[in-house]
This record gives sequence, C-alpha cells and structure tokens, in this order.
Amino acid sequence: MTKPKVGFFGITGCAGCLLSFIFNEDEILDITNLVNLKAFPFIKEVNADDNFDIVFLEGLVASKEDLETLKKLRGNTKILVSLGACACTGCVPAYRHFTLKENYEHLLYEKRERIRDVEPTPIDAHVKVDYFIPGCPPNKKEILSFIKDLLLGKKPRQYTDPVCVECRRNNNLCLLDIGKPCLGPITLGGCNSVCTNGGFECWGCRGPTKDMNLDLMIKVLKEKGFDDKFIKDRMRTFAGLKLPVLERVINAKGNNAKPHNKD
Amino acid sequence: MQVFRLEKKRLMPFLRKVMRSYELVAPVKTDLVRFEKIKNPKSICFEKPYFPVKGFFFKKHQVLFEFDGSRVKIPANNEPERVFFGLKKCDLNAIIRQDKVFLEDAEDPYYKASREKSFLLGFHCDEACSEYCFCGSMELVDFYDLMFYDKGNHFLVEEGSEKGRFLISKFKEFFKPVPRKITQEEKEIKGTDRLKKNSITHLYDHPGWQKDVENCFSCGACTALCPTCYCFEIHDEVKSSCLSKGCRKRCWSSCQLQSFTRVAGDHVFREKREERFKHRIFHQLGYFKEKYGMNLCVGCGRCIEGCPTRIDFIKTINEMEDEQRE
Repeated sequence: MTKPKVGFFGITGCAGCLLSFIFNEDEILDITNLVNLKAFPFIKEVNADDNFDIVFLEGLVASKEDLETLKKLRGNTKILVSLGACACTGCVPAYRHFTLKENYEHLLYEKRERIRDVEPTPIDAHVKVDYFIPGCPPNKKEILSFIKDLLLGKKPRQYTDPVCVECRRNNNLCLLDIGKPCLGPITLGGCNSVCTNGGFECWGCRGPTKDMNLDLMIKVLKEKGFDDKFIKDRMRTFAGLKLPVLERVINAKGNNAKPHNKD
Repeated sequence: MQVFRLEKKRLMPFLRKVMRSYELVAPVKTDLVRFEKIKNPKSICFEKPYFPVKGFFFKKHQVLFEFDGSRVKIPANNEPERVFFGLKKCDLNAIIRQDKVFLEDAEDPYYKASREKSFLLGFHCDEACSEYCFCGSMELVDFYDLMFYDKGNHFLVEEGSEKGRFLISKFKEFFKPVPRKITQEEKEIKGTDRLKKNSITHLYDHPGWQKDVENCFSCGACTALCPTCYCFEIHDEVKSSCLSKGCRKRCWSSCQLQSFTRVAGDHVFREKREERFKHRIFHQLGYFKEKYGMNLCVGCGRCIEGCPTRIDFIKTINEMEDEQRE
C-alpha cells in the first residue's frame, strides 16, 4: 500500500490546532510511519506544495493571500479537512463581522490603505470541505483517530452529539443549574467536556450541533437573567457565522453591531 | 425474613470492618450526591444520589475484547467484591431491570462479573426524596441483600437473600436478631404515587406532548441519569503503532441522540426530536413492559431533576389523562 500523502497547513490563525496534532508526542512518530507527511511548514524545513491525498488546514480566510492559498490547496488535494474552530466556524477572528470596522481599525493600524483584508469567513464558505474536525483547539486524539479511520478505509467518525452527553457521563454538576450561561446543550461534543469538567461553562467552540434547539437555549439563558446583548455576544464568539438564525431569535434593540456584508 | 437490630453508633465500626474485606460504595455529598468508592465512612450521606449506580455494573466504557489481527483476547476480569450501601428502593429495582437485560436475555459476561461480586445494602426512604419522585406509582418490589430502616437510635436490618444472610453471619458481632417482622406500613414510601395511570399506550398521538418536546434539547441528560437506561454503541479503537491491533469498546449511548439511530447509508430513523422524546417515555412506560412484564421506569425522578429544563413528563401524562376523562 502506498502511503497517503498528507499536508498540514495554516492560514490566518494561531497555530494552536497544528500544535494539537504535535501534542500527540507518544504517537506522532507512529503516524509518520503510516503516512507520507509531505508538508508541515510549521515543523518541517522542506515542504511540497502539490499532489496531496489529505490536507488538514487550520485557520480562516481573512486576507486575499489566505484565499489564494486555500484555493490552491483545494486544487491540489483529494480530501480537504477543516482543522479547528477558525476553519470550521470562523471562531474569534470572525467576530469582526459583528462589529463596525470603523470602530476599531484606526486603533490598530496606522496605514489603513495597506490593509488587504476580506470578510473573515470559515473555509467552507469558499471551497468544498470534505471533513470537519472542530474545536478551539481540536481534541488531539480526534485528529489521530481521523487519520487512522481513513487509513483503514472507513468513513471517519464525525461526532454529532452535544457536549452534555459527555458532561453527564463525567458526573458533572450541570452549570446551567447554578446559573452559568453554558452552551453545552447546543454545542458539538467530542471534547470530553473538558471545560465543564473544570467548572468552566461551554462557550460553544466546536460549533452548533445539527440538531440544536437554539430557540430553547436562548429562552433558558433569558430565564436565567442574561440579556439579549450578552446572549448574542456569547453565541457569536465562536460560532456566530454558523448561527444564522440568531438575528431572528434575538431582537436586540439599540445594538449598532450589525454585520457589514461587503462583496 | 429475619430482622436484626444494629445500634446507630455501631454503624461506622460496621462499615469500617466491611471495608477491610470489600470495596465499599455509598453516596457522598459534595456539589452533588454521587455513589463513590468510600475511603472514610464518615463521608457517607443518606440522600439519594443525583447520578445512578448503574455505572458500576454497566460500565460507561467497556473494552469487550482486544484484537491483534484475527486473534482476539477478552480482558481479564479483575472486579473487586463490592458492598453497596445506601441504595434506595428505586436503585434496587433498577438493578432488577438491568439484570433482565444483561443476564436473562443474553448473559453479558462483563455485567455479570461485577454484578455477581456485589452486595446490595438498601436504605429505606420514609417519604419522597424529592418533588420529582413517583416510585409509589411503579409497582416496585422488595429486592435487596440487606435493607436498613432508620428507627431513631438504631437501625432495623432485614435480610433479603442468601448473600445478605452471609454478610450478617460474617459480621454477626454488630447485629442482634429481633423477633419481629417489618410491616407493610413501615415499607411504605409516602407521597410518591404522583403518576395516576402508568399505562400510556393510548396517548402516543396526543398533542399534549408538544410543549415538552419544545422544551427538550435532546442532550441525553435524562438517559445518562436514568438508573435503568441501557443503550450503548460499539466502536473499534486501533493503535497508531499498528492498525491491526486495538480494542473493541462498548460505551453508553442515548435514544435521545440522532447518532443513536444512524444506520448504514447515513439514514437516521428517528430524526425528529419528537420521535426521540416519545421513544424514551414509551420505552420506559410501555414497550419494556410488553416484553418483561414490568415497567422499565422505577420512578426515581432523576431524569426530571437532571433535565436542564425540568421536563416533568409525569405531570404531562396526568394532564392528558385528566383531559381524556373529562
């Protein structure tokens, strides 16, 4: 069997998702025996840039260069995998959508004419994505089991259950019950409820479940005393672009943070 | 059945002595009440645990076998002998249900291993543990190795099985036989018959379920906290060093999840939330009884107490019944 040709790349992002794979120290050498790691610019000096079987791509499209890289990689690989929250949902960088650019760009950049940004978007907004490994950062074991499933000729397991499933299995106190704004019930699990295990509420980094009951989530948070602005901000932090119905459900008044759709 | 007297101040010495021969599991209260392995019997509380005891028998993650190519190895069973203390009537009856599934239908060696090595010591509730209990509506029976009744300065301990008799004789210095029986009145648990009618098959299409369905996240909290729910999924995990080596695992699953009814071709046959919501309730209060002659539900109310929106389907059933009667 010829080894599948694999590449790990990053566009705009923090490299944390690439690190997640590297954190599999005990098994990473085994994996490099199973696949031909043709490119991993983050840790390799010499990298190929075409003819891949699987490309894992971290980050979101936030500049013209990102878009060029993405399109090139899509053309050069059979399977494209969104690695991590930025690639899957837009994550924190995509929050820029929900606030007016004029409000902040002069604070950050002296020469505004030099900014060559595009609307920040997850990669599936531009090209076809075959698989998603969500999370900020993704579960390091999930990346390994994904590769192993593909090597065995299986369809990789895409976790679809909400965070609550693992959280309850871990015998945790329900954080909603103590008044914390936990998004576990509408958020994809597979993280072994790592945040709620430590008493920290879920912010929804893995994105919404296909089966989420968003209306109920908003109703529950409102009943617990959180206002529209808070709920909107919290839900948008990691997955704003994947919760399009948010505008419909929350009718926030006096909030000037409207999406400014260009193009 | 023979009844014994155990002085209250002798309870801790008794449990300490039990711990010398067995692993002791009992309710401990921290942020919630959980069944835990006891290190110091003083940490035991007598409240109903928020989480069920089932995980000690039907494991959350169970390695069914390890494989190396076509060679298969079943993991050695090294379950300790366990004494469970502080089980409520609902917990004990839940074990009857799980025994039916894992021992009678097809003998499950993993379940059997931990079940055989267990001693079940019950603690009688005088009244409902919470506003959600409805065990009095569920036709529960006496089932225990020993049952403890709180009588002020002492406990009355009733034998319920050979295993119970064995424990009493092993620790006979603590127990004094008393020439009396535990009366039916003493066995009653007050205020727990909130479900008016426990056959609900005629209610499947009733519109009354709708408000509960709207309040459901399909998060699976109810099934994880249920002492009887026994659904699972099975998957393989292979080693990175060699893809033909690995293990097959059985893990808890839930009928509330779309992934549970996902079959070949990516078809999900209970895709709608309403279908999944009703499936749990009708399995608990209908389908299981058709097969085994008893309801799966034991009326502990954990699924309601642990639900993020406190969906009280007992109240809903009662409302539907009242409306149909009018």
